[in-house]
Amino acid sequence: MPERLSVILIEGSYLLQSGIQSLLSEFPGMRVTAIFDGSEKHLAEKVLAKKPDVLIIDPNTANLELLSFLREIDANNGMQVIGLISNETPDNVVSRFPHVLNFFECKYDLLESLKAILGKRILSAGKSTNNQNLSEREKTILTEIVLGLTNQEIADKLFLSIHTVTTHRKNLTNKLGIKTVSGLTVYALINKLVDIHDIEHK
Amino acid sequence: MLIQKEMKLADVLHHDHNLVPVINRFDIHLGFGEATIEEICEDKKINREFFLTILNAYHDHQYFPKKHLQSFPASSLVNYLSKSHRYYLNEKVPEIESYIDDLKENKDLNTETYLLLKNFFGQYKTELTQHIEREENLVYPYVGQLEKYIEKGIVDRSFLEEMEAYSITKYEEEHDDVEAKLYDLKNIIIKYLPSTGNDSSYYKVLRELFMLENDLNDHSRIEDHILVPKVEAMEFTIKNMRTNDA
Ligand SMILES: [Fe+2]
Ligand SMILES: [Fe+2]
Repeated sequence: MPERLSVILIEGSYLLQSGIQSLLSEFPGMRVTAIFDGSEKHLAEKVLAKKPDVLIIDPNTANLELLSFLREIDANNGMQVIGLISNETPDNVVSRFPHVLNFFECKYDLLESLKAILGKRILSAGKSTNNQNLSEREKTILTEIVLGLTNQEIADKLFLSIHTVTTHRKNLTNKLGIKTVSGLTVYALINKLVDIHDIEHK
Repeated sequence: MLIQKEMKLADVLHHDHNLVPVINRFDIHLGFGEATIEEICEDKKINREFFLTILNAYHDHQYFPKKHLQSFPASSLVNYLSKSHRYYLNEKVPEIESYIDDLKENKDLNTETYLLLKNFFGQYKTELTQHIEREENLVYPYVGQLEKYIEKGIVDRSFLEEMEAYSITKYEEEHDDVEAKLYDLKNIIIKYLPSTGNDSSYYKVLRELFMLENDLNDHSRIEDHILVPKVEAMEFTIKNMRTNDA
């Protein structure tokens, strides 16, 4: 499964919500996971808990409390914060945002601005990984996962760092498009990477 | 299309036939002729605003009712959600099980693979059942209590303390996605099952899985975007109410 960029939208206007979603749908890997209208209680906590890759905020919608720490959010959470502005948005509001998108721009320019802000991530997201076949290492790790070993146990057994194991695990999950251990088990059995008796005895 | 009270329900279903199971949960069944939504609701004593909210939420993924949340009681919502739970567990899941059983007839598919799929779906069923039981045993009774106190207009101090320990925000945080295994199963069927030259039995399973996934997504959206904000507002009302030292 290709990588996806999750987006949270803070926008109170239905027209703008639909417009932004239609714009984002041009990038197959971008997915709006939540929309808030700005009136929600504890909005900042809710947004942070969902850990989106991208946060798009209309300053007319969001409350001041949230607007006051946008730069910190952007810098500390690996989240990209984009303000939705117009030609009339005052400078002191524009300057609160690490990145901005001017909704008076034409579609082409809006897409180009998004690409400039999100860089390579936006283009690689949503595209299938080129090499779908599992490497030998990935097959070995898949087998161990299916046999019920934890990441730490796999790392110890194969003399790898836990970080390497996690990376392999993520890659093989993405390649196969199978997220759950039971799903991986079915895959491994169909492809005879493991034997049913090994699993029953785990 | 925004579904509105003046519309004929028949026209709405022509537009979106996936709403048939949804209207069934309100005890409305096909064969209503030219009746409008308004007329049907009156006839069946259904809260019209609530019915419209649910139809629109299913039909249009961007529909978010905001101001209309106050226009119906939480108990109707909980009642509706429980009915859709029954629909998943008592109708959809057995239907899919029977389509998976039919895979046995495909002579090109070996028995082990068939059993793997059957077993995998069985695990999914357990997971879905647990998710649903948690909602019905914990969350819905909590909503019922909130409603009771709001009706009385006075709240017990002990309940306020309970609210500190469990609030709907907690539900929102831990409300997990029950669709992960379904997604895997679809992918296994699409990409990794042995080619047998006859896809029609695979297709039947697949189509049902897609439909169940859609319906569950709509259901979760109603929980996250209608139930949660509504209950948050109720919690807010209660926190500002007179207290009773019980
Ligand atoms: Fe539910
Ligand atoms: Fe749920």
